[in-house]
Amino acid sequence: MKNTLHTRAGHLPGQDLSRTEWVSRSFSAHGRTVELSLPRISPDQLQALAHYTALSAKTQLAGMPVLEIVDIIDRVIARMLDASHPMRREMDALLPIVSGFDAEMTRLGINACLKNFCRPQLLRFLAEDFGDIGLLDGFRPRPRGGWAHACGACLVGHVWAGNVPGLPLWSLVSALLVKSGSVGKVSSAEPLVASWFAHTLAEVEPRLADTLAIVWWPGGETALEEVLCREVEVLKVYGSDAAVAAWQRLLPAGKRLLPHGNKLSVGMVSAAALDTRQAQLAARQAALDIMRWDQQGCYSPQVVYVERGGALDPADFARHVGGELAALQHSFPRRALTLEDASSAAHWRQAQELAMLQGQDVELLGGPDTLWAVAYFATPRPPEATALHRTVCVMAVDRLEDTIPLLEKRRTWLQTVGVAATPEELFRLAPLIARTGVTRICALGHMTTPEAGWHNDGRFNLLDLVHMVDIDPCAEAAAEQFTTYRD
Amino acid sequence: MTNTNTAPTLAPDFLPELMSFMSRPNGDDGAFNQLALKLFNHQFRHNLALQRFCRMQGKTPRTVRHWRDIPAVPINGFKELTLSCVPPEQCERVFMTSGTTRKDNRGRHYHPHLRVYDHSMKLHFAQRFMRGQPSIRMGILFPGEEMMPNSSLAHYLALAKQEFGAPGSAYFVGPDGMDVEGLCAVLEEAEATATPYALLGASYSFVHLMDALQRLGRRFSLPEGSKLFDTGGFKGQSRELGAVEFYEMLQHYFGVAPARCTNMYGMTELSTQFYDDGNAQQPAVKSGPHWIRTRAVNPLTGQDVPEGERGVLVHCDLANFNSTTTLLTEDVGVIVPDGFLLLGRAEGAQAKGCSLAMDAFLQATAE
Repeated sequence: MKNTLHTRAGHLPGQDLSRTEWVSRSFSAHGRTVELSLPRISPDQLQALAHYTALSAKTQLAGMPVLEIVDIIDRVIARMLDASHPMRREMDALLPIVSGFDAEMTRLGINACLKNFCRPQLLRFLAEDFGDIGLLDGFRPRPRGGWAHACGACLVGHVWAGNVPGLPLWSLVSALLVKSGSVGKVSSAEPLVASWFAHTLAEVEPRLADTLAIVWWPGGETALEEVLCREVEVLKVYGSDAAVAAWQRLLPAGKRLLPHGNKLSVGMVSAAALDTRQAQLAARQAALDIMRWDQQGCYSPQVVYVERGGALDPADFARHVGGELAALQHSFPRRALTLEDASSAAHWRQAQELAMLQGQDVELLGGPDTLWAVAYFATPRPPEATALHRTVCVMAVDRLEDTIPLLEKRRTWLQTVGVAATPEELFRLAPLIARTGVTRICALGHMTTPEAGWHNDGRFNLLDLVHMVDIDPCAEAAAEQFTTYRD
Repeated sequence: MTNTNTAPTLAPDFLPELMSFMSRPNGDDGAFNQLALKLFNHQFRHNLALQRFCRMQGKTPRTVRHWRDIPAVPINGFKELTLSCVPPEQCERVFMTSGTTRKDNRGRHYHPHLRVYDHSMKLHFAQRFMRGQPSIRMGILFPGEEMMPNSSLAHYLALAKQEFGAPGSAYFVGPDGMDVEGLCAVLEEAEATATPYALLGASYSFVHLMDALQRLGRRFSLPEGSKLFDTGGFKGQSRELGAVEFYEMLQHYFGVAPARCTNMYGMTELSTQFYDDGNAQQPAVKSGPHWIRTRAVNPLTGQDVPEGERGVLVHCDLANFNSTTTLLTEDVGVIVPDGFLLLGRAEGAQAKGCSLAMDAFLQATAE
């Protein structure tokens, strides 16, 4: 087995690649190294890419029925899911090294993500946002008169952040479905999956591959960022609040920013899920959500609220979660931490230890050498960010309703709540949770696998990328007056 | 009655031994280790917060056989715990951290008296900044002790001026800010009389001063033998400058070569400082005297990182006789043959994913 792999990221349709500068980034994990070449484009090149992809979208996508686009994406995803396909095999080798995540966790996670973009899921995606998907192909009658047509933005800019593989697919596929051109900037922590999608698309249907460009530059290159902001109609930005604010400042008035800031998610376990038969399973589900992507996802739980009164009390539940995390470490080892990550984890541990020394109601489970940590709080607090990488707070509550005022304190950051509760509890709590700023309620154990058509951060994947064009009923009525068969 | 629980005196019985160890030109490993363990025993016994911290780490004087085994207290411990063998109200002085994140939560370092601190400062300053010279005329770019009674740096600089400042040494930062005009007059005089001059202050004070000189269109060429001393970095108090650029600018405005500029690395939580031997090369190697030892560790496990790798610095400072000898900093460094390279703060565990990360969360929720 070769110890150093070489690969290229990026997709620059219509560009002379021999005249493009490339920079190399090196990633090491699991005893192997990837030398990755990334295109170092100039502002002029970026502008040319923007024009080229927008024009290609206009000529290739605009006239194509949306169901045909669905079929093409379905074929692309089928190839990406095909474990024997050369590009898939290359990705299975590269992604764990570049991301540092466990190989098996990555393989399963990528499959779980790709499955969301097969034909049936894409149709659900479309149905979620458009009652009548024909709206994307042309003017459709409105029940109360007149006509409407959903037109995708000419060009969507995507700024992806983070190291969770697959995240870019959500917005990239959305832009294709609404027939928009795309220029997507990958993060240096995970530049591969977006490029892989583009290259597979180029194999399946080269005309469509011309409608999207995958680019990269180190953050803070204002000249390039200004070009992107000038050229796009809609800009989708993933990243920290500071990054979102910086892009907002650059975006000219009248253009739409779709921000996806960093988020906090929590688990909730009802006493009903803590009987002798179910409790272990609930702890297992919580641990799985914590393990997947090492809590790097916006949907990953950082706090789990546990209701008192079950057969297992919350403190014991915390111990069970610790035990499950320890077991998962064998099948899905945590990625190796950088000094910065280790420092952050150490800070978090120290804060819990100092709180214990001050006599606070905290118990820290898992030693400095274990690759997970659970802090148990007998008195609940508002959700707080942990050091990630399988560090979690378990907090006891008398009733799950007690979490509501706590959640409200973190309104701007909340995203997913993973629930283990009875149907009666689920539907009693849901309206209360909905008012706290949470945008997704799912089953504990499924927090990291949102379903096709989900409203990411409470927004519409597709509707946010289009504008509606109406034909008023009066236009139709007035046109009648100019027919040869008028009265 | 045994004497194990007697209240510690302000001058524990090992103090003369400690002070004379510091006064020696150098100290061997054995003597350092012996004193470190003696101090650890003393602190474990009399400093209840430290004792509880050590027990939590599973460490007691019975299991600690070497100074490297002494549990390193994270510097946040100085905020959350009372780390003092002597009751705080009996302490002559408390130095506080600047509290850059939360003003109400500042680290406190209790000193029953400053005899050891001052001894440590004078011995090492004489060697590393004065380099044997008995005195030099000094300008201090920092407020005096009366303005900042809880600042260890204010005390340090006051001591420098008192012990090593030639007649005519003066402060140039007062309640009304920096006296740039007064300083210019003094620097001109030093130029005219060819009297070597030393400017000492916080790194950010130098930036403010150079900005002012630029506005005034002034620059100086201080005579041979002049030197500059900066410390503390910029802490958001001024523009952030790279070290190379900073020392180039100092040379431009004061005519003092980077080799004659000393940077001090100190912490409120320590009683001993580290210096480099000039800043002609970056990053400059920092080192301390024989009564302080530094390790680079994995902050999570506390184990030493392999040689030449980046780690978080742990210092074991024997001059910290009342709080804790050993502390875990938030500074990243690499151990090199003659000391260590300081590579900045162990922050920037930026959110790599889309999960809200702790640092961003703490910043956003801090008032």
